[in-house]
Amino acid sequence: MQILNVSGLRKSFKEQEVLRGIDFTLQRGEILSIIGSSGSGKTTLLRCLNFLETPDAGTITIGDRVAFDAADTRKLTAKEKRARQLQMGLVFQSFNLFPHFTVKKNLTIASELRLKEEKPQNGAEKATKKAQLEAIDRKAEELLSKVGLADKANDYPYALSGGQQQRVAIARALMLDPEILCFDEPTSALDPELTGEVLRVIRSLCDGERTMIIVTHEMEFARQISHRVIYMADGVIEEEGTPEEVFGNPKSPKTRAFLSVKD
Amino acid sequence: MSFFQILLQLCEGLGYSVMIFLLTLVFSLPLGLLICFGRMTKIKPVSWLFRIYISIMRGTPLMLQLFVVYFCPYYLFRIPLRNMGDNWMFVSVIIGFALNYAAYFAEIYRSGIASMSEGQYEAARVLGMNKRQTFFIIILPQVIRRILPSLTNEVITLVKDTSLAFAIGQIEMFTMAKRLASSEVSMLPYVGAAMIYYVFNLIVATAMAKVEKRFSNYVIK
Ligand SMILES: Nc1ncnc2c1ncn2[C@@H]1O[C@H](COP(=O)(O)OP(=O)(O)O)[C@@H](O)[C@H]1O
Ligand SMILES: [Mg+2]
Repeated sequence: MQILNVSGLRKSFKEQEVLRGIDFTLQRGEILSIIGSSGSGKTTLLRCLNFLETPDAGTITIGDRVAFDAADTRKLTAKEKRARQLQMGLVFQSFNLFPHFTVKKNLTIASELRLKEEKPQNGAEKATKKAQLEAIDRKAEELLSKVGLADKANDYPYALSGGQQQRVAIARALMLDPEILCFDEPTSALDPELTGEVLRVIRSLCDGERTMIIVTHEMEFARQISHRVIYMADGVIEEEGTPEEVFGNPKSPKTRAFLSVKD
Repeated sequence: MSFFQILLQLCEGLGYSVMIFLLTLVFSLPLGLLICFGRMTKIKPVSWLFRIYISIMRGTPLMLQLFVVYFCPYYLFRIPLRNMGDNWMFVSVIIGFALNYAAYFAEIYRSGIASMSEGQYEAARVLGMNKRQTFFIIILPQVIRRILPSLTNEVITLVKDTSLAFAIGQIEMFTMAKRLASSEVSMLPYVGAAMIYYVFNLIVATAMAKVEKRFSNYVIK
């Protein structure tokens, strides 16, 4: 089943056109890797998909709902904005954990805030709310175990290594059960000896259910985990295919040049 | 009069100094945040208005501002000051102090907010938080942590500045000391006042250090 459709996406900063017409689709449970040299527009694409940038043209359809349409000038309500925001999840290159919250609070804060917005009307609702808060707590603990950091729940981010911080960031994104989870070079800010633990965690998320888009420079990793690979160059999709096709037998000379430098 | 008696008399004035101090903080800390918002808004005319306000408040003597506030009912609206009620002097002191300190606090808030990385806003946004939640739950606590040292400086200055209220005749500790000094023909009241200001500040500084400590359970890169 198709979960994402990106069509005709364009984005410029001042004079420079960074995305020059991006089209692709994603099936539920599919894992897509995006590779490409620095400056080719990978981050901008992910930011558009997560509504951190507003594209100049094109549409983004998540499930059967049009989440963004550059031709539609109607202002979205706060509720609509949040709804589409929560369909997507993003793990940043630089983690962006909240330094003033403990690891566990980093995971729970967004869910707690959402819950707090609905004021309980009576005792019964208060009781459900309490149960829901406990469920959020349990979920955070489960996810921390999943990324191997159950013992760090009460630590502050500064006390963690880069690899641990990124694992917390992944758990935090998972808390909200996004339809599509995006990673922007999740290991690029890490010392080489710490990339393994983060890649292992990402690998453990590949269960055939979860849809993920991973921008990465880890070619071997991309080759192993992806169902499909996109190579981006100068704001367009230069080549797209299975890992075997793109890595094993690239059609475009640009892709070939990029991959040969990487090896 | 013994030194002890002098201290006792000064403490009468101290009550007003402490009230000026506390009320100024209560009003100027939130007001400063509002002014900071006005200064940082994308609406250019508004932002300029606040910029000018801050510039005037910081560029002219507080004592002068106290005069302006105190006399403005008369000069602006021709209301005789005796019709302003018995408390007008005290109220005008608080208004003057609050308006002045809010301008300084606004600039401190602004520097703190500007030092926050865009990544914090974006992380909050992708987690579905709205603007208000993002500001008050993610940004502001970190900003406060960062600006606490500058805030402490201002707060300590405020303790000493409370003595400026004497200029329009508000009786506080310094006025009291002056009166005693002339009636007793002695320097001792001034020495006593200096001691009390010093202790007042020592208490304030200790309290601020406590607050800083409470906020330092985490470290910001
Ligand atoms: N906010 C921005 N303002 C101006 N230029 C930008 C901005 N974001 C990205 N760019 C430019 O867009 C181009 C693509 O950047 P980016 O999407 O980060 O590429 P990649 O992630 O593939 O390295 C770069 O030339 C970069 O300088
Ligand atoms: Mg990038």
